[in-house]
Amino acid sequence: MTASWSVILNEIVTGSFSTVINVLKVLIPLMILIEFFHVFHVMEKLAKKLTPVTKVLGLSPPAILPLLVATVMGVTYGTGTLIEMNRRNPLPKKDFILIAVFFFTCHGIIETTAIWGTAGANILVISVGRLLFAAIFTMVAARLPIFKGPEYVEEQAE
Amino acid sequence: MNLVIQTIKDGTIKAVKTTLTLMKVVLPVYAFVVIIKYSPVMAFLERLFEPAMRFFLLPGEAVVPLITGLFTDEYGAIATASQFGFTTAEITTIAMIGLVCHSLPVEYALSRQIGLPAGRFVLFRVFGAVIVGLAISRLGGVFL
Repeated sequence: MTASWSVILNEIVTGSFSTVINVLKVLIPLMILIEFFHVFHVMEKLAKKLTPVTKVLGLSPPAILPLLVATVMGVTYGTGTLIEMNRRNPLPKKDFILIAVFFFTCHGIIETTAIWGTAGANILVISVGRLLFAAIFTMVAARLPIFKGPEYVEEQAE
Repeated sequence: MNLVIQTIKDGTIKAVKTTLTLMKVVLPVYAFVVIIKYSPVMAFLERLFEPAMRFFLLPGEAVVPLITGLFTDEYGAIATASQFGFTTAEITTIAMIGLVCHSLPVEYALSRQIGLPAGRFVLFRVFGAVIVGLAISRLGGVFL
């Protein structure tokens, strides 16, 4: 050990609490904002305007809603929306996989960006950069042969 | 108006709940990493991972938040990343790699549950994180 235990203990307590408090300062207003989005159906309205984006990504139009919800509000709301949509009107398997590709690369963009911002990362790079990467990965995956069984090709032709 | 108040209340409750889960992650992770940092293990880790990290233009210590992020979550990675004096460019790279590829055990279980090829998605995320890391570290050198 290169430091005494009292130094170590002090660093653990002050450091972890200041991290949590820093995160909280952004988290509380954000959670309230996200709750407003949820209650006033902001995402549903926005999704209608952004439908053309799905064509670029290689998805079918209804996929925009879970995508948008997960990107902006976080993965819990996103999966919730996805599961609910699947119950009413199942998405094709290809869309399901592609949405997951996008999800995993980029979710909860407001929350995570703000939190990493407090840790000192460049906010613009981690928000816009992530969106771009998620879009590129999804576009590439949509055109890869591995995701395309014969049944998906039919779906695309419709 | 009632709805607005209710919404604010719900949001705050969710934030408080998140804080509690946050504490559960941050406190043990932070303690563990501080101890690692001052122990001889750190020097060994640094030496071991320095060549790999140089790939992403990062110092050897950067491996600690990255590994923490893989197994815990973003909050664990943040708690770890704030302990070392990384520059803006470095922390942006760490953030991007960590954001693409984090909490693999939990999210593996989750993706299995909703019926995705979970193993393939783990591979995809690791692969994606490498690409993202390479690209962002190069960009970071130019812009930050």
